[in-house]
Amino acid sequence: MPRIQSTIQTNSADFRRNAAHNRALAEELHRRQQAARFERPARDVERLASHGKMMPRERIDKLLDPGTPLLEFSTLAANMAYDGEAPGASCITGIGMVQGREVILCVHDSSIKGGAWYPLSVKKIVRCLDIAIENRLPVIHLCDSAGGFLPLQSELFPDKYMAGRIFRNQCILSELGVKQLALVFGHCTAGGAYIPALSDYSVIVRGTGAVFLGGPPLVKAATGEVVTADELGGCDLHTQVSGTCDYPASSELEAIALGREIVQQWDRPAKWPLQQDPVEDPYYDPDELYGIIPDDIKRAFEMREVIARLVDGSRFHEYQPAYGTTLICGYANLWGYKVGFLANNGVLFNDSALKGAHFIELCNQNDTPIVFLQNITGYMIGREYEARGISKDGAKMIMAQVGSHVPKFTIMCHGSFGAGNYGMCGRAFDGRLVFSWPNHQIGVMGGEQAAKTLADVKLRQLERRGEAVDQATLDRVYHETLEAYQHQLSAYYSTSELWDDGILDPVDTRNALGIAISAALNAPLGRRGYGVFRF
Amino acid sequence: MLESILIANRGEIACRVMHTARRLGLRCIAVYHHADRTAPHVALADAAIELDADIPTAAYLDSAQIVAAAQTSGAASVHPGYGFLAENADFAAAVEAAGLVFVGPQPEVIRLMGDKVHARDFAARAGVPLAPSVTQDGSLDAFVSQAAAIGFPLLIKAAAGGGGKGMSIVREAAELAPRARTAMDEAERYFADRRIYAERYVERPRHIEVQVVGDGQGNVVHLFERECSVQRRFQKIIEEAPAATLPPELRARICQAATDLAASARYRNAGTIEFILAPDGEFYFLEMNTRLQVEHPVTEMICGVDLVEAQLRIASGESLPWRQNEITQRGHAIECRLCCEDPYQDFRPATGKVRKLVVPQGDGVRFDSGVIEGQNVSAAFDSMIGKLVCHGQDRASAIDAGIAALQAFVLLGVDTNIDYLGRVLAHPAFRAGELHTGFVTEHAAALAPPELAADQEAVVLAAAALGVAEFRRLARDTPEPYASIGAWRN
Amino acid sequence: MGLDFKFTLDQKDHDVSVRARRPDLVLDIDGRAHTVRESAAGDGAVTLEMGGRSYHVWRVWEGDRLHLRIDGRSYSVGYEDAIAAAQHAAGGDDVLRADMPGVVVAVHAETGATVQTGDTVLVIESMKMQVNIVAPRDGVIEAVHVALNENFDKGALLAALKATD
Repeated sequence: MPRIQSTIQTNSADFRRNAAHNRALAEELHRRQQAARFERPARDVERLASHGKMMPRERIDKLLDPGTPLLEFSTLAANMAYDGEAPGASCITGIGMVQGREVILCVHDSSIKGGAWYPLSVKKIVRCLDIAIENRLPVIHLCDSAGGFLPLQSELFPDKYMAGRIFRNQCILSELGVKQLALVFGHCTAGGAYIPALSDYSVIVRGTGAVFLGGPPLVKAATGEVVTADELGGCDLHTQVSGTCDYPASSELEAIALGREIVQQWDRPAKWPLQQDPVEDPYYDPDELYGIIPDDIKRAFEMREVIARLVDGSRFHEYQPAYGTTLICGYANLWGYKVGFLANNGVLFNDSALKGAHFIELCNQNDTPIVFLQNITGYMIGREYEARGISKDGAKMIMAQVGSHVPKFTIMCHGSFGAGNYGMCGRAFDGRLVFSWPNHQIGVMGGEQAAKTLADVKLRQLERRGEAVDQATLDRVYHETLEAYQHQLSAYYSTSELWDDGILDPVDTRNALGIAISAALNAPLGRRGYGVFRF
Repeated sequence: MLESILIANRGEIACRVMHTARRLGLRCIAVYHHADRTAPHVALADAAIELDADIPTAAYLDSAQIVAAAQTSGAASVHPGYGFLAENADFAAAVEAAGLVFVGPQPEVIRLMGDKVHARDFAARAGVPLAPSVTQDGSLDAFVSQAAAIGFPLLIKAAAGGGGKGMSIVREAAELAPRARTAMDEAERYFADRRIYAERYVERPRHIEVQVVGDGQGNVVHLFERECSVQRRFQKIIEEAPAATLPPELRARICQAATDLAASARYRNAGTIEFILAPDGEFYFLEMNTRLQVEHPVTEMICGVDLVEAQLRIASGESLPWRQNEITQRGHAIECRLCCEDPYQDFRPATGKVRKLVVPQGDGVRFDSGVIEGQNVSAAFDSMIGKLVCHGQDRASAIDAGIAALQAFVLLGVDTNIDYLGRVLAHPAFRAGELHTGFVTEHAAALAPPELAADQEAVVLAAAALGVAEFRRLARDTPEPYASIGAWRN
Repeated sequence: MGLDFKFTLDQKDHDVSVRARRPDLVLDIDGRAHTVRESAAGDGAVTLEMGGRSYHVWRVWEGDRLHLRIDGRSYSVGYEDAIAAAQHAAGGDDVLRADMPGVVVAVHAETGATVQTGDTVLVIESMKMQVNIVAPRDGVIEAVHVALNENFDKGALLAALKATD
């Protein structure tokens, strides 16, 4: 496979300006992640310590195999919600390795408000269980939560994808033969009680672990019975009397050690056999990604340069190199795994859409997972392109993409605007994992375009009401609209709302994709077959 | 030659006797206690008879059962090995009374040499040097003057006693009278017998012994001396032949004294006369062992003989296999007694299962083994499980061979003194031949295991960790790409 | 990172973990990184390469101890699995073991008895020495595993205390 010939000049002004910009963005990302992970009110930290509890991330570090990675999801979930009171949406999820087995971790973050569930906590937990289902990954629940955050109960309890979905997903996992283990470090109250109850194995820590449908205050209110948490649903009650939990543990460390030993008993179902070659590091330094990604959302860049910094040996077999050139298609190895790439290199025209649809079919013919690298302002619009059937060509690409039986992964490398998001496997299209880069922006259209459109609408409203319109008002409307819109375009807003599975420092993309692909191979390939293509 | 033999012993010596007996065509019968049912001496024998006893060692001391076993099995002879019944005159007599050949001396010789007082008197009559001594017969003044005549230092003990009561070392004439009086008072108090006894106290004594073989007709040859000065808890752990350093003239005198004693006793069988050698070159009779000695292999290696074969031939009625002038020696041999014990906890016996046994091979390396892989080492028996004997062209090369063999020796599962023995051999004082029976006490600090350096500690811990199944799995069975990605966090 | 593996060597406690696996195995020993390569030595032993040197290593298990012979020197390393180590850390010493082989000469506390730290539970005799086996902490005797005049080997479980909450 030929090596991509990079043409970037690392000493050019553009490269250096981009690099400085994107490094700053990466630092900003790490700063925000660090805060979301570790900055906690002293009161909460002291409370955990006084109960002899570890911090949730200490539990994770002890549980995972030493010297192995953790691909954490949505670290910055809820970072723009609830006045920042639920960093990480009060839970930690990710894929890690326990006893050489890939597992999903679903960890309640009791270092924030007792681990109470906010609406986005529920969304994040449901999403991680969806990932478990889609990839057939065993789940280890590290339970320590006060239960639903009551003031926002209407946003987390009643609907299809709200709290009930957690337990529904647990049952689906079980039905699929995927194992679950619950380590109960703290309280599992109300619905939370079903987490250990629906797990195949559960360990509960004596003294601090408790499982009950109604906690002591609720019991007192309902029946007048006065009872301690330990009497009501503690370790000895559940391991000796009720049978709700399986293993008593005298400490959190023992619970973790027991948990690891339980996982050691699990079989390792065979993965589907994707072609896997010896691993080769990229020939070009992934660090150069910082200088390749432009510092302006409107500026185009060569996506082959990105591929060259993700794939083994920077080698790439390009399909139809001369046709539909605004969409790069081709095969490469990533951590030795054979994958297909669809990468935007400009606006999608009819030919690029048809090429993309065809290449997606080739990947399916070949059982080759697909990685989408998005930087898309949309499909080409205008009379000429409508006449050529840009809508039906875009539809073909979407049809091929949705009908894929191979796993798909999406990286939001830059802009993701309009219908291009759909064809390139946006969030709604069941990519196994979707990650964004810090420079990423997403919206139905670009910020300035949207601001102009909205300012025009405003202008017409004012004119209809007969109000005088001066340029200053117009500018004010434009800038207010742009600011509000841009806030919602940003990667931090996206990730806050869980429109992705997290923001990645671009240099981490290769590792994240390696784990994502490895995890995806646990689930059997889907059913082959497509819907009706409009020709 | 005898047709068959019952070996009334266990462990390495039972195996060692059987090897020669088998080579000479004898049928070998083992006896064993239940605790030894899987022991190598049982497996090695043509037949094995179980002895019944509550305590394992009692089985091998049960003269009646062993004689009965010999008769039942049709054994023509009985070899007692060493220890257990080897120096029990009644047992030898019982074997002979049963019409069997006892591979050992005449019972009356065993009895004679087994009685320390009689043996001493006998040796004196045979002209063998004894440590000068005087027994107090009532008069303190006479005792003091006679004792002072022996010279200092002197050891004073109660004539009737033991166990250290009334014992003291007197280094100066002025101390003698008061110490003697105190000793008499103590002797009176403890033993109701005021008699005390003084003998030359030998400081830094060496233990030298002479191997003899006699035919019972008064013909005796010696096979030179052995040095057994390195001892712990009054038991030898390293023996060598010839002695580390011994002037030829002194050596000749010691060997002659031993031969004279054995000849006087019309000694039959292989035997050993033990002496104390003082730093001034004086040597004194200690005792005679009327049996094959544990450390006999060092003599075999330098003389190129098989002492068990000699025992069997003499027991069969053959004459001595060699004339004195036919016995020559070549090079130097050192024996290390491998014991299951903790040398750093006062040589406390260790128990366990021998999980891995790799015995070094090579020219000049001999291992008389009573242990096999998988065998349990219990506290019921002596802690010695084998003897590693190395031969070299001179003492230095024998030491080097010994150190190399000990390093190559692998016996895992039970604590042993293997490394300790290696440090003794490597000690400069040992190399220099500065030996005496207090050697291991004198050099205890230098013989302790060296403190582990941090990097050595890390090697041991790494090797140990990779021996733990779950750690090994963790270190080696992590799938890709996880193993390559390592401890990465996004 | 991860649960440490707990070892004892010469009465000192040590933690060992894995730091990295590629390109070489890197172990974390008491917080310091050591690159380690292990291969079969061909004679049933293994060759360990560490710090620019190679070592010939034999190892066997005996109960909770690993006996090693490395380049002509023997070592005995104690190992406690993670669960036992966690219980040990949480509940203190719940078991009384013999540190030498011997025989039971007296039993002072029966199953169910309440004992305080330092109370004599058993007297054993070993090497003609009588040794008191005492309670390592306050508690209740869960079981006495040996009887009067019973022989036991080094490391034998003599008695156990009930786990505490």
